[in-house]
Amino acid sequence: MSLSESIRQNFIEGDRWRYLADGLKTTLFITVFAVMLGMVLGFLVAIIRSTYLRTKKLLIPDLICRLYLTVIRGTPVVVQLLIIYFVIFGSVQISKTLVAVIAFGVNSGAYVAEIVRGGIMSVDIGQLEAGRSLGLNYRQTMIHIVMPQAVKNVLPALCNECIVLLKETSVAGYIAINDLTRGGDIIRSITFAPFLPLLAVALIYLIVVVVLTKLVGILERRLAANDRR
Amino acid sequence: MRMNKLFAGFSVLALSAMMLSGCGGPPPNKVHSKDDLKGKNVGVQLGTTGDTLAEDIENAKVEKYNKAADAVQALKQGKIDAVIVDLETAKSFVEKNNDIRVLDEEFADEEYAIAVKLDNQALQEELNGALKALTEDGTLQDIKANYEGDEQGQHPYQVKTNASRDKGKLTMATNAEFPPYESHDDNGSVVGFDVDMMNAVCDYLGYELHIDDMQFESVLPAVQSGKADVGVAGLSVTEDRQKNVLFTDNYAVTHQVIIVRKK
Repeated sequence: MSLSESIRQNFIEGDRWRYLADGLKTTLFITVFAVMLGMVLGFLVAIIRSTYLRTKKLLIPDLICRLYLTVIRGTPVVVQLLIIYFVIFGSVQISKTLVAVIAFGVNSGAYVAEIVRGGIMSVDIGQLEAGRSLGLNYRQTMIHIVMPQAVKNVLPALCNECIVLLKETSVAGYIAINDLTRGGDIIRSITFAPFLPLLAVALIYLIVVVVLTKLVGILERRLAANDRR
Repeated sequence: MRMNKLFAGFSVLALSAMMLSGCGGPPPNKVHSKDDLKGKNVGVQLGTTGDTLAEDIENAKVEKYNKAADAVQALKQGKIDAVIVDLETAKSFVEKNNDIRVLDEEFADEEYAIAVKLDNQALQEELNGALKALTEDGTLQDIKANYEGDEQGQHPYQVKTNASRDKGKLTMATNAEFPPYESHDDNGSVVGFDVDMMNAVCDYLGYELHIDDMQFESVLPAVQSGKADVGVAGLSVTEDRQKNVLFTDNYAVTHQVIIVRKK
């Protein structure tokens, strides 16, 4: 079979490219909302953890956060996805996309938390002490002095986490969500030609990641504008 | 003070998650015939003939699971309205779950056959010869009786330890999620009708059977690419598939059925 013929068979016949286009939409939707949920959860956990480590306050929330980190980082995301779908929301009628957003968001939150905590701890404790001795309270010091520096430090790692999350959503097919990977699987299951659908899926992921990396690069440059060179 | 608030917040979250999982059963069954499937959520296993059939149902939303068992689980929990799957597989699910049943209405007959690589006519002929001989001496009928009918489990196929293995390894690609044709037993080995049949075929022809368990939609690509010599996974012969692999003579006739919740 010639290349143009297999392109026709895999993508054009029966509008099969739609499986990829719709899949990409679903993948991006899940990724965007999961990243948002993950960031919120991650920052919350990171602040609790670092506050406990530096001031020994918030002991119980810290324990809960550590439990969350242990459980989520200690189990595979596919298993978490299936547990959320079939056990936690077992008899509840809930949109599968929402299940995926929750599963990937909660999963990502654990990794974001440790990245951000690393960022907060990397800001010299002298900065915190300086803020406090200038009369700012702990919260003000965190918001105006520590966090801006921390976020700038962890931006590459956070970007990395977004990329990982985007690719991790490829297991959403386990709960019959037609994401990008599953779109390729469906085409393969119709045409039985593994080569082109897999390559197309890989290429689309790659393009999304490259675009994402570029955008974060621009953001990093903007944030670095007032750095000393 | 703030610590208590946070703690209370977490407790409420945990409690509501527990409540969510406990409350509310699945909605009542609305599918009583093939026609009722229109506009419903229909679960299938990706790439099966049930998948193809479901795609043709008007306005139906087809949910493609990796495993037929996951589709059945979703049906039981009310996430979908019906599952389309092969008759024998449907029976084994219904046996294990008392809240689902098989509708009497059936789809057209289809034939199971062994898939081999498109250019491997020699193997196709060899397998056809073996299937013919095993049908004539009653071996295949015995194996079949071991998996369906009144004498289940009474005719297990014993691999012949003294059979020749001169022709080397024959790799069989399958998806062990498809009882009674292939599934995992309590020890985790792949068992079922297809496995017994292939053991008999290999004993007859002098091959050593090697089973490779994979996702269903990977079975045919594995055969096409030569990673496996044969695909034996309750594969129905369809026109689309015949473009990509050779099929032997059929070894079983079956059809697709609809599983729904009892209530």
